[in-house]
Amino acid sequence: MNLRPARALLVAGLLALTACGDATGDRPAAVSSDWPSVLKAARGQTVNWYMYGGDEALNSFVSRTLATKLKPYGVSVNQVKITDTVDAINKVLAEKQAGRNHGGSVDLIWVNGENFATGKQAGLWQCGYDLPNAKYVDSTNPAVTSDFGVPVDGCESVWQQAHSALVYDSSKLAASDVSSVTALFAWATAHPGRFTYPAPPDFTGSMAVRTFLYDTAGGPSAFPGPTVAAAYGPASARLWQRLLTLAPSLWRKGQTYPVSQADVEKLYGQGEIDAYLTYGPGAVAQQVSKGVFPSSTREAVFRSGNIANDSFVAIPANAAHQAAALVVANQLLDPATQLALFKANGAYPAIDLARLPAAERQQFQAVDLGPSVLPLSELTAHVQPELAAAYVTRIEADWKTHVLQR
Amino acid sequence: MTGRRPRWVTIVLLLAPAVTVVGVLFLGGLGLGVAQSFGYLPFLHGWHWGLDGYRALWHDPAVTASVGLTLRVALVSTAVATVLGVAAGLLLHSLVRGRRTVTAVFGSTLAVPHIVGALAMVLLLSQSGLLSRLAHAAGLSGTPAHFPALTADGFGWGIIAEYVWKETPFVALVVLAALSGGIGELRGVARTLGAGPWQRLRHVVLPLIAPAVAATSVLVFAFSFGSYEVPALLGRPYPAGLPVVALQYQQDVDLNSRPEAMAVAVLIAVVVAVVVAGYLALIRRLSGRPL
Repeated sequence: MNLRPARALLVAGLLALTACGDATGDRPAAVSSDWPSVLKAARGQTVNWYMYGGDEALNSFVSRTLATKLKPYGVSVNQVKITDTVDAINKVLAEKQAGRNHGGSVDLIWVNGENFATGKQAGLWQCGYDLPNAKYVDSTNPAVTSDFGVPVDGCESVWQQAHSALVYDSSKLAASDVSSVTALFAWATAHPGRFTYPAPPDFTGSMAVRTFLYDTAGGPSAFPGPTVAAAYGPASARLWQRLLTLAPSLWRKGQTYPVSQADVEKLYGQGEIDAYLTYGPGAVAQQVSKGVFPSSTREAVFRSGNIANDSFVAIPANAAHQAAALVVANQLLDPATQLALFKANGAYPAIDLARLPAAERQQFQAVDLGPSVLPLSELTAHVQPELAAAYVTRIEADWKTHVLQR
Repeated sequence: MTGRRPRWVTIVLLLAPAVTVVGVLFLGGLGLGVAQSFGYLPFLHGWHWGLDGYRALWHDPAVTASVGLTLRVALVSTAVATVLGVAAGLLLHSLVRGRRTVTAVFGSTLAVPHIVGALAMVLLLSQSGLLSRLAHAAGLSGTPAHFPALTADGFGWGIIAEYVWKETPFVALVVLAALSGGIGELRGVARTLGAGPWQRLRHVVLPLIAPAVAATSVLVFAFSFGSYEVPALLGRPYPAGLPVVALQYQQDVDLNSRPEAMAVAVLIAVVVAVVVAGYLALIRRLSGRPL
């Protein structure tokens, strides 16, 4: 497939869409500057929140904890469970094509990276709102102001942080085996079949390949800018060579890869593999306490650092219940809600804890996720940013060609 | 009532709901899919008609490898389910006692959705599944990796197992229905004329059930060639089943993958249509043959 011109065409097409749509004309500006009137308009509305539905702890947080906290505002939330964010984007895009500029069926989407970029180019998002609880967010943090290299520009609101980590069974791997990517690959070669990662474009599989790329190229600084730099060519060639050398030592001898992260975690739970990369290290505690994972499960961060990003919610410009969607986005930034989310599934707070009163900050630090989970201080010590969306798409396509289909 | 209204009006009115569903939902969707496969993307600036979607298929290893896998899985599943189903149907028919109970057990799988069947196969056949655990308990295999890979395997055994499990009873029930006519008398006549059991099966029973079995196996083939959830759950990311590939391209963030996604879908439709046409030719020959 000839990807680069295709992608350029896509961008051109989406820009044309923006130009002939209503996005440039009557987009409501700063809808939430008058918060009391937002609250008034929101009363009695139900927000259709399209989000990944595969995390039971998170589902229960939305349907119980969040729903209870929204009750005083007369707002209810209907979680529309999807497996891939692009489904929600396609729905909004289709409605926009059909000329449905108001009363759209999607009110809120858990989004980031490529999908946010696609939606932004097509002018799908409501932008320029300011939420009262945004005061808890560190607006100078680059992880909050840009999303996979795309400027946020007030078109989405942050709600949780995701740090990647390696999850491993400490009865099988020593601390020295997980100190670096090289050490892990050496261990995997000595223990064939006990490590794998999901096939990109799975979100976590894609992150795993980028982690290996950072390690191969010496960090994300080798790949600046929104478009794929020349340095990517030789660095990726070395990466594919490295992954192909590793492949025969992976699960199923690297002849195939698990389709999804859920499959990978199942393999770990059933003792088929001893280590995997995750974008949700906080959720591991629950799996251990439920007995799904062995109690010797531990987490580690490679010396070369771990990839992190912030998760956002975005409101489509044609959403039927924009006011209520704003209330939900605002509620997600409320410190007590962030604390409940942290406790529920170990999702790290998107707000800046330094902005909280000492007593509240203490509550976050007192949450004990058990010995399996890395403390926040260690998880955030060597954080590395995500690459621009163009790189992500390119890496996913190249991995398919050079590793999966070799 | 029909006296005041011309007969053709009544017929048109009665057919209208069905024709609307077929026309709008099926033909409309098919038409739009075919149009998109030829590049019709009105929401993209600079779209043009062309064969790019189909040309891309030709050079795309994800598609070329998938065609072989999908054909293999559909053909093997259909053949095995047909043979087992016919045998089971004949066996059920010959049961004197308990036929109704056994038939009901067979029929019960018809109500199970394929996605549930596929998940059951994962629990049963995967390297940490029930069979693997039993093999381990019996001392036949050591670690999970020693158990043969039956799901996400290169050949597609896991997918085939699900289709065979689900479709064999279907074929068997069709055979039972085809046998429920006056077949007993025909066999009696054949016996009085000196036909042995094998001759009765070969010249009386099989020709009688052949049209129904052929029709059923075409249905089984068409389904197993075009079904998404079973290869999605039991297959590999590469090569994946054709319907899985179609959805992968449909979900690509690059909207220019749409023609290729639709071209894959059209390819599935064409293959199934060719097989059905072949079946129609076959059935004409089969029903023309004297019993």
